[in-house]
Amino acid sequence: MGPSGSGKSTFLQCAAGLDRPSEGSVRLGGTEITGMNENELTELRRRRLGFVFQAFNLLPSLTVEQNVLLPTRLAGQRPDRRRAADVLGKVGLADKARRRPGELSGGQQQRVAVARALIGDPDVIFADEPTGALDTGTAAEVLGLLRNAVDVLGATVVMVTLDPVAAAWADRVLFLADGAFADSLEGGSPARIAARMSAPFRSGVTAGAAA
Amino acid sequence: MRRPTGLARAAIRFKPASFAGTFLALLMCALIVSACGILLETGLRASVPPVRYANAPVIVAADQYEYVVTGSGEDEEREAVPLPDTARLDAGLAAKAASAPGAAAAVADYTFPVRAATLPGGVLTGHGWGSHLFTGVTVTAGAAPGDGEVVLGRNAAAVGDTVTLETASGRREFRVSGVAGADGPLAWFADGQAATLAGHPGRADAIAVLPAPGTDAAELAASVTAALAGSGVRVHAGDDRGAVEDPGLGYAKETLFGIGGSFGGIAAIVAVFTAAATVALSVSQRAREFALLRAVGATPRQIRRAVAAEALLIAPPAGIAGLLPGLGLAMWWFEQLRDRGAVPAAVQLHISAMPLLIAVAAGLLTALGPGWMAGRRPARTRPGQALADASAERLRPGGARTVLGLAALAGGLALTGVSARSAGDDAAGAALGVVMLFMLAVGLLGPLLARLSAGLFGLPLRGGGPAAGLAAANSRTNARRLASAFTPIVLAMAFASTLVFMHTSENHAAGKQLRAGLTADHVVTNPAGLAADARSEAARTPGVEAVVAVLDTQVLVPIGAGEFTSLRGASVQGITGSGAELAEVQDLDVREGSLDALGGDRIAIDTTLATAAGRGVGDRLPLYLPDGTRASPEIIAVYGRGLGLGTVTMDRASLAGHVTSGFDDALLVRGGPAEPLTALGTVTGAAGYASRPSPDAELGAWTTNTMAAVLGGFAAIAAVNTLVMTVLDRRRELRMLHLVGSTRRQILTMLHWESLLVSLAGVILGSAIAAATLFPMMRGTTGEAPYIPLLTYGSFTAAAIGLALLAVTLPARAVLRRRRSG
Repeated sequence: MGPSGSGKSTFLQCAAGLDRPSEGSVRLGGTEITGMNENELTELRRRRLGFVFQAFNLLPSLTVEQNVLLPTRLAGQRPDRRRAADVLGKVGLADKARRRPGELSGGQQQRVAVARALIGDPDVIFADEPTGALDTGTAAEVLGLLRNAVDVLGATVVMVTLDPVAAAWADRVLFLADGAFADSLEGGSPARIAARMSAPFRSGVTAGAAA
Repeated sequence: MRRPTGLARAAIRFKPASFAGTFLALLMCALIVSACGILLETGLRASVPPVRYANAPVIVAADQYEYVVTGSGEDEEREAVPLPDTARLDAGLAAKAASAPGAAAAVADYTFPVRAATLPGGVLTGHGWGSHLFTGVTVTAGAAPGDGEVVLGRNAAAVGDTVTLETASGRREFRVSGVAGADGPLAWFADGQAATLAGHPGRADAIAVLPAPGTDAAELAASVTAALAGSGVRVHAGDDRGAVEDPGLGYAKETLFGIGGSFGGIAAIVAVFTAAATVALSVSQRAREFALLRAVGATPRQIRRAVAAEALLIAPPAGIAGLLPGLGLAMWWFEQLRDRGAVPAAVQLHISAMPLLIAVAAGLLTALGPGWMAGRRPARTRPGQALADASAERLRPGGARTVLGLAALAGGLALTGVSARSAGDDAAGAALGVVMLFMLAVGLLGPLLARLSAGLFGLPLRGGGPAAGLAAANSRTNARRLASAFTPIVLAMAFASTLVFMHTSENHAAGKQLRAGLTADHVVTNPAGLAADARSEAARTPGVEAVVAVLDTQVLVPIGAGEFTSLRGASVQGITGSGAELAEVQDLDVREGSLDALGGDRIAIDTTLATAAGRGVGDRLPLYLPDGTRASPEIIAVYGRGLGLGTVTMDRASLAGHVTSGFDDALLVRGGPAEPLTALGTVTGAAGYASRPSPDAELGAWTTNTMAAVLGGFAAIAAVNTLVMTVLDRRRELRMLHLVGSTRRQILTMLHWESLLVSLAGVILGSAIAAATLFPMMRGTTGEAPYIPLLTYGSFTAAAIGLALLAVTLPARAVLRRRRSG
């Protein structure tokens, strides 16, 4: 986490292969992804990564179930509807499979996005301020789902957030400032994280590659 | 192939309304292409069934076209230009044709006007009696005509009467040798005399060949062709014969070809261009969706395919839906042309599957091509960037795009020069080409131009209250969106103004020249043509100082050289009278040389023609007389009022035998009273003559106005379509403005300002393009600045601004209303 403009989203997008770093390299579980072309990156995202964004996560034209199955469909595989029902069940939306995103609340939409991220059994789930637009209660539900993906499914979740309460769900919190890692914290309560956030960072850190 | 993702179908099924804009654009595209295609095909295949020649299976006639040959070897191209008048053939060929195997008889046929002051109607159509062999006319009383005799129709005269008839060869008395069993103002003369009476001794209009029993038309045509090989004539059979009978068919084909081919080609390009822009807009509006798809695992290829699949799903139904109105437009246009006499009544609209298929295919390609191009952008950009890109528009015109845009601009300017050197239809064609190139430049440089005009016109808005300020800011930052609405407005304005004002300018200049150039006191005209002695009669009238008889016709003049050779039709006034007399009744505004020696093979021409042909006083001007005969008279004067009076002024005598009607069209009289002249025909003053309606000019005006309406209307619909699409796309933004405290009125005011800005900028740029086209071209054709009626121009401007306002206000109101109820 870090203040606005500290490079959180850029870091996440580079790490997820959504954008390319101008310098340095990105390795994902031992795989060098910096030199990959768009097709290889796409393939990688389908197989090993999941995404949850702050907003506009779902295609309005598809049903909830179709949105969840979208990565499978794009991979050219036969959509496994049982698996979709299973994942939707895990996020508590088993009964909404046939609805359109427009008919769901913001929290429900984010849960659908989590379900979609989970459908491919990803190694890493990238979440870019997933609770930024949600109220505290709903945010907790979504964060709980992400936590569960780590604890039960063994995935890694990389989440960017501004909210110390959300950050407190993580095992490890990294702080960014001016495009560079400034500090880190293992575990920690919202209060400690908030205190670290407001502490003055060392300035003059060279901006550049980080990993 | 991978499994289809089904994304396209889902997108369309979920929100058909968001594809309505694309659908409409593709529908309009199919409409224009199919309408023009039908007219073009009709032009290519038009035929009239033979009436007079219905029972003569084979007709031999001279070639009614002159050819422009450009290039050589394999690149040789021949363009056929119909001759202004009938080309005739050697009547002696009839004997040769009759000797062909399978031929029973061959009749040289003549058709010519005959004036008969004493008979009802006053005008007869003369033929040779030999034609009765194929027309089946029989003498019900009396006998066939010999020399100095005539056979008339029923109730015209009695056998043995003497009638005075006047033909191109003069007035003389004929004895009525018989009465034919046919109605109507007809006269038959002895075959040996007919050619001379018609004014072209030894030449026939056509030769009708009749078969021996047991010979069919195809066999006969083949044997006649063989018998006449080397004489350069054409042998016609079947419906082809109708073209010989009705010379209007050649012009009708030209007209239809012009509308369907030349205009249709440009309209089709415009339609494709606009539809392509709409498809691209619709894709760019969903950039966020594509970015999301990319993030969750869609390859660039899958995105492109999804966009292409959408196009494939929308284009065919849109194309098919456009066919019916396209058919309607073609039918309406064709009927109008027929009613106005531009197309012979017997010609039928030719409707086949071909143009319809092409229209649907054009729509499909239009949707696929730009869809693919537009899909490249979201497909190529990295998803992270795309998600960011979608929310904030960035102005990044590609280098290639800018270079192409500038090239189109340069091409437009260069072609402006070409159009300045041509006249009439060629000029109109070149003008449309100029507008096209400028439009291409606007399309390519659109975002830059839109940004520029937003900056410029936005300046006064910034200080004008919150709504105006917001409008200025929106226009500046969303240049691409602005450009997509701005381009069709420029298009509509430029096309409509160029076409309409080109015509008004020419008419205005011609009218002005005619009024200034006609210095005669009286003009005598006669719908039946003036009697041969009318001039001498008028000259005998006391007080008359000078009389000149004028015959109006056309010649073809070769213009340009090499690849750019063309044949231009030039109006001719064939005058009877001396150059000095002509100067009494017309002020041609002689710029060079003198009219004194006019006559024989010494002619005077208008300065625009002199410039186009690159000839001056003392040079010889090669040209084709109305019937295609080559001539190369000497230019002795160059004058300035040819547009109103006649581009070429030549001796009437040198036209004799080369025109079908040998009767003069007008007498220009100087001095004396009007009263005694009324015996010769209708007498008007110079002013009255100058302001008389001209059917040709009216047809021309109607044709250009229709073209302007079709193109302008199309562009207007495209503009409205785009504006509605962009407003609906801004739903979220408008509701946000509502939420943060803008009143409905403020939002609407903001949109009004934006729409005003885009339409004003469009009108100004469109007018600039029209001006850049019209000024050099009018200097070339009329030597003056274009004439632009303010009322017409004002209504174009008002229509553009009004439509843009409506197109923004109506959807915005709907969006805001939905917000309130929801």
